[in-house]
Amino acid sequence: MTDADAALKNMKGYRQSLKGALEDNFLRQTLDKFAVQYRANRTMIFADMNERELIAEIADAKDESMERLEELYEQFRAEAGKKGVIVHRAATAKEANDLICRIAKENNVRKIIKSKSMTAEEIHLNHALEADGLEVVETDLGEWIIQLRHEGPTHMVMPAIHLSRHQVADTFSEKTRTAQDSDISKLVKVARHQLRARFAEADMGISGANFALADTGTIGVCTNEGNGRLTTTLPRVHVAIAGIDKLAPNLHDALRIIRVLPRNATAQAITTYVSWITGATDNSVNPDRRKVFHVVFLDNGRSALLKDPKCREVLRCVRCGACANVCPVYRLVGGHRMGYVYIGAIGLILTYFFHGHDRAKNLVQNCIGCEACKDVCAAGIDLPGIIQEIRARLNEEQGSPATSSLLAAVLANRKLFHTLLRFGKWAQKPVQSGQFIRHLPEIFASGQGFRALPAISPKPFRSQFADLQVKADGSPRVGLFAGCAQDFVYPEHLRAAVRLLTAKGAAVEFPQGQSCCGLPVQMMGERAAAEKTAAGNVRAFEAAKVDYVATLCASCASHMKAHYLELTSSDPALRASAEKFLAKIVDLSSLLFNVLKFSADDFRNRGDKAAYHSPCHLCRGLGVVKEPRNLLNLAGQHVESPEEDVCCGFGGTYSLKFPEISSTLLAHKLDGVEASGAEYLVTDCPGCVMQLKGGEEKRGRKVKVEHMAEFLLRNLK
Amino acid sequence: MPGPVNQAAVELYSAKAKPASIVVTTVKSLDEALEYAVKVCQDKEKAKPLLDVPGDARKTLAAPAVSDEVFAALAKKVEGKDMELVRSGLRDHLAGLDVGFSVADLAIAETATAVLECEKEDDRLAAMICETHVVALSKSKIVMTSYDAEPFLAKALSRERNFTAFISGPSRTADIERVLTLGVHGPLEMHVALVED
Repeated sequence: MTDADAALKNMKGYRQSLKGALEDNFLRQTLDKFAVQYRANRTMIFADMNERELIAEIADAKDESMERLEELYEQFRAEAGKKGVIVHRAATAKEANDLICRIAKENNVRKIIKSKSMTAEEIHLNHALEADGLEVVETDLGEWIIQLRHEGPTHMVMPAIHLSRHQVADTFSEKTRTAQDSDISKLVKVARHQLRARFAEADMGISGANFALADTGTIGVCTNEGNGRLTTTLPRVHVAIAGIDKLAPNLHDALRIIRVLPRNATAQAITTYVSWITGATDNSVNPDRRKVFHVVFLDNGRSALLKDPKCREVLRCVRCGACANVCPVYRLVGGHRMGYVYIGAIGLILTYFFHGHDRAKNLVQNCIGCEACKDVCAAGIDLPGIIQEIRARLNEEQGSPATSSLLAAVLANRKLFHTLLRFGKWAQKPVQSGQFIRHLPEIFASGQGFRALPAISPKPFRSQFADLQVKADGSPRVGLFAGCAQDFVYPEHLRAAVRLLTAKGAAVEFPQGQSCCGLPVQMMGERAAAEKTAAGNVRAFEAAKVDYVATLCASCASHMKAHYLELTSSDPALRASAEKFLAKIVDLSSLLFNVLKFSADDFRNRGDKAAYHSPCHLCRGLGVVKEPRNLLNLAGQHVESPEEDVCCGFGGTYSLKFPEISSTLLAHKLDGVEASGAEYLVTDCPGCVMQLKGGEEKRGRKVKVEHMAEFLLRNLK
Repeated sequence: MPGPVNQAAVELYSAKAKPASIVVTTVKSLDEALEYAVKVCQDKEKAKPLLDVPGDARKTLAAPAVSDEVFAALAKKVEGKDMELVRSGLRDHLAGLDVGFSVADLAIAETATAVLECEKEDDRLAAMICETHVVALSKSKIVMTSYDAEPFLAKALSRERNFTAFISGPSRTADIERVLTLGVHGPLEMHVALVED
C-alpha cells in the first residue's frame, strides 16, 4: 500500500505504476474477460425492467434523503435508541477509529471478526484496532485473501480480482502451513474451515451497512457468502459502521436500491442474503441474552459534500462498483491505479474528498471522459462531470500545469488561437510528411509513437467556405458548427457534409465568429476559458437564422449540450440565447437520417464493407445509436466488430497525458476491426478519426478510416 | 397470513429459483416437507467437522423454529434413523450441522427470495451453519415483488427486536478469479419444499 500510495502522489511514479499494470498479463486477461462478460450479463439481468426509470427514481430519492439527512439521523438515533441500540456519529476517520477501539475496550474484547465494509477500509479501521492490540480477521473471502497479503482492495465488490488462484493457493499454503491445491472450490473450503473457528471464538463482529432505515432504526446488509450473517449473529458485541449517506427514510427506499445494486455490481438479481437487523437481538453469550449493538455513522467530509452543490450527488453512490466494471481504463490497469481506497470513477472522486488532494491530483487526470460509467451508474451520478470539476478545483488550489494554462489562454482568445493554428501549418513544415506529421520534436513526442499525428491543413475550412458558393436559400437552414479539429485539420469532412446537406436542398451557413467548443479546457479544468469560449460560440450563432446547428464532432455537441447552460449562467440574457442555440444542435448522422431522410435511392451502394466506431460522446453523450449504422447500410454494408461502443483511446489531451493507455485501447479497437473483414472504418467524430487513422497509418493502412460524411459522399449518386 | 395462492407468483418463483441454484420440490403438506428434510439428511454425506473438536457422532438435523407439534412430528420421523435431532443450543454445533430446517414466513417470486423472521439466535444459526438448508414454503405465501412484501416487512422491522433475512440460494462467492463457487460460510445447498395449501 505504501508504495502504491507514494506512486499516487507524483505523476512520474504514477505513470510508472500504470506501465507495470499494463505488463501484468494475468490482470489484463482477467479484467478483459470480466469487462466483456459483465456487460453481456448486465444487459440480460436488466432485460425485464425499466432501468432508466428506476435509476432516475433512486437519484431523486437519494437527493431527497440527503436533503433531510440531519432529520433522518435524529430519527434513526431515537428509534434505534428506544430499541436498545447505541448510536454514534464520528466526524472524522480518527474519531470513528477511536470510538470503535473504545467500544472494544469497554466490552473486554480481544478477538474481532469483520464482514466486508468499504467504510471501514476508508478509515483504515484494521490498522487502528491492531495498533490497540486487538486481533482482527476479515471473513469475506476476497477481503481475507488481501488481508493475509497485506494489500488493499482492487475492486469494491471483488476485492481480490487482481489475484490468480495460484497466488491465493500460495497465500493459503503459507497461512495454513500446508500445501494447498489451486482448485478454486478447494480454496473456498479452506477459507470455510479456517474462518469457522474465528467466528466461534470472536468477541465482537464488525459489519458495514448498505442501509440505515430511519423509521424503524434498522440496518440492512447485503452479502453473498453468509459471513455477514455469522458476523452479526455469533459474537456478543456487534458494531455496524456506515457513512451517514446510508441513511434512508424507510424500507421502500432500500428495496428500490436493491433492485439495482446487485444487478449493477455482479449482474445478480439479488445478493444471496439481505439481513435486516433491528434492536438488541438475541445472543446466548450475554447473560441477558441481548446483543450489545452499536451503530457508528461516519461523516468524514460527507456533510461538507452536502453543502457543495456541484458535487453533492456523489452522496447518492450505493457502492455497486459498476463504474469500475465498465471503465476502459480500469480494465487495463486495475484497481490500485484507479483509486486510493474506493475504486473506479467514484474512487477517483472519493480519493479527492476523503483521502487528500495530493493523492487525488494525478488520479483524477486518468479519466478518459468516455462516460461509460455515467451510463450505468445506479444513482445517475454525473461521474465524468464531477471529475472535471475536481480538476478545475485542483487547478485553482495548486495552480494549473503550464500546458493547461497556456492552452486556456490561447483558447479564450479566438483570434490568437486561429492565428496560431494558421502559423502552425508553417511551423510543422520541417516535420510534415503528406497528411501526417512525420516526427514530432522530442518534447511533444514522449510515448506518441503509436499513431501518426495529422498535419494542420494548409487552408482551414473557415477560409474555404466562401469558395464553396453555397446557395443561401433552401430548407431546412443549417448552421455548421465546425469545431477546431475539422476546421483546421480535417476541412474535407466539412466540405463533404456541405455537399450532402445541399444535395437534399438544405441551405448551409457558417458563422465566422465561432471557435473551439471549449471541451479541451473544460477537461483540463480551466473554468474561465471554458466560459469565454461558450459565450463566443453562443453569440456567433445568435445572428444566424438557422433551423439546425449541425456538428460533425460528437464531442463538441455533447460538451455544448451538457455544459453551455451552466457555463453561461452568470449572464441571464446569454443563457437564454444559449438555450435556443442548444435546442438546435444535432449531430450530422441524425440530421441526415431523421430530418433530410436520406434513403437507399440517394446512394450508389457498392457494398463497401464498413466497420463502425461509435464515439463515446455520440452513443452515450447524445444517445445516438441507430442512425449512423442505418446510414452505413444505405451507402454500403455495416460489418459488426467487437465492442463498437468502447472508447478508441483518444480522449483529447488524455492521449497525450497517458499514451500507454491510449495506445493499448487503440490497438484493441483496431485488432477487432481488422479481424472483422471490413475495408473501411467509419466514425462520427474527428477526434476518433485522428486516433484511428493515425493508428492505421502506423499499422500499414489495412483499413481505411473515414468520417461518416466522407463515406457517404463517396457513395452518393 | 394464509391467503389465496397466486399461481403466477408460484410459477415465477420456481422459474427464478433455478438460476439461483435452489432445489425446488413440491409437497402436499408440511408433514411431507418434514419427511423431505429427513430424507435430505439421510441421503447426504455427513458434515466434516470445521473446528478442531470431535464433531457430532451422528448426522444432525436442526429445527429450532417450529412449533411443539411440528417438532414432535419431526421427532417421530427421525426415530430409528441414524440421526440426531436438535432444537436449541445450535452454538454447540458450529463445527458442522448437516441440515437446518426452517419455515418461510413469506417469499418474493421475482428474486426467488425466502423471507425468514428469525430473531432467536438458534433460528438464525440453523439457517447459517448447516450444510443443507431445507425451507418449507407455503405457496400462498409467495408474492410477486419485493414491494408486495412491504406490509409484512414493515411490521417485522418495527418490532423492538428483529432479525429478518432474505435468503435467495446457497451461500456463494466469486472472489477467486470470478468463478462462481457455492458454499462459502453458509449452506452449500438450499432446498425449498413448496407446500400446497
